[in-house]
Amino acid sequence: MKMKPFGVAACATLMLGAAPAWAHHAFAAEFDAKRPVHLVGVVSKVELINPHAWIHVDVKGPDGKVTTWMIEAGSPNVLLRRGFTKTSVAPGTPVVVDGYQSKDGSLRANGKDITLPNGTKLFLGSSGTGAPYDQKK
Amino acid sequence: MCYRCFVSLGALFVLLAAPVPAQTSSGVPRTSDGHPDLQGTWTNATITPLERPAALAGKATLTDAEARVLETQSVNELKEYDGKSEGPLLTATGSAGTGGYNALFLDRGSEFARVDGVKRTSLIIDPPDGKVPRMSAEAGRRLAQSYTGGSFDSVKDRPLSERCLVGFGSTSGPPMLPVLYNNNYQIVQTPDNVLILVEMVHDARIIRMNATHAPPNVRQWLGDSVGHWEGDTLVVDTTNFTNKTRVRGATENLHVIERFTRTDAGTILYRATIEDPAAFAKPWTIEYPFLATKGPIYEYACHEGNYSLTDILGGARKKEAEAGRN
Repeated sequence: MKMKPFGVAACATLMLGAAPAWAHHAFAAEFDAKRPVHLVGVVSKVELINPHAWIHVDVKGPDGKVTTWMIEAGSPNVLLRRGFTKTSVAPGTPVVVDGYQSKDGSLRANGKDITLPNGTKLFLGSSGTGAPYDQKK
Repeated sequence: MCYRCFVSLGALFVLLAAPVPAQTSSGVPRTSDGHPDLQGTWTNATITPLERPAALAGKATLTDAEARVLETQSVNELKEYDGKSEGPLLTATGSAGTGGYNALFLDRGSEFARVDGVKRTSLIIDPPDGKVPRMSAEAGRRLAQSYTGGSFDSVKDRPLSERCLVGFGSTSGPPMLPVLYNNNYQIVQTPDNVLILVEMVHDARIIRMNATHAPPNVRQWLGDSVGHWEGDTLVVDTTNFTNKTRVRGATENLHVIERFTRTDAGTILYRATIEDPAAFAKPWTIEYPFLATKGPIYEYACHEGNYSLTDILGGARKKEAEAGRN
């Protein structure tokens, strides 16, 4: 098939090559690749604000002390178009977060993947669903 | 080269060789003064990259069948990207970044840009290789700095998008390039002015019709735009940029000529030529559609919650403190 020579390589370049550089900020500037975090807690608040939405998660430590982490998500403009609103995740919802802590050592982390206790991902989507570009068809 | 590629390239050469016509369009909405009505909400989201990927070298267009394979593959790769450790994925692209965007956070469309009935593999149509012409070393340095910023000593040294001053990747333009998300625009049109509201960082471009440029000492973040109609095409000429904006490393002497043609009820064909001899060996031209989309566009109050900047500068201070202790 004629597609073969350029198919996979082209898409890898299109999808992944562009992502890290062309965003509101470089992730490597804010988050520390050497400080991965695995957090198990409950959602206490959702801030649907720009440039990024933030999901606050209360995490209970081994000593029983609760600390509140802030998890960075996408632009609320995109989230709203995908059907994610301020009330999509109710306070008290248990979540598991895998991400990287911010470089300044504060209790903030990126949240590419946030998982509910039943294993469902909180954010699950692709660029082919829900976007205005697709809705017009 | 396959026959199909040859035909596509041939068509592109013919297109580029011909003078740009003042395109006339029937069946498009018109304002009371008879010009095409460009008003509405539009998106330029597309997976067609600015420059043609090396793997598609020599292939300017795709048939629908070819495009569908790559578009499906693109969506599937994005799905696979979800939930995987990003380290190996990013390393494979040569990035040292930590990554962090869930697929749901991206909104760059799912299709290649379609112009004249065929899908394009690069936004750049001239030069025909789909690449930005040779850049000066200084332009290259400025382009790199637009991504990474300078030092971490002051907020003023950080990239403009990090500071919420203008959108990243020339989303507000000119030229108005598609980026990862918020590729939405609202156009309001009167006989004297055309306003383009850009969703990202709510930049507003005000184009003065049939006017002359401001004096050279008046510089603006998005340049000084004046417009006129050539037949049914709105032509916008922009100069008077600042030395702060960084459209592919261009200087303040950047000159952008944009052409907006409403080709049907749901499409504005957008073409822009970028000139800056101090940055690029020759002018280059991009072309792609803006498609009608459902509104509204949303406010993007970037300063409202820009915790990122605090984290970034705070991270640098922490690193300095740790270095001082060692």
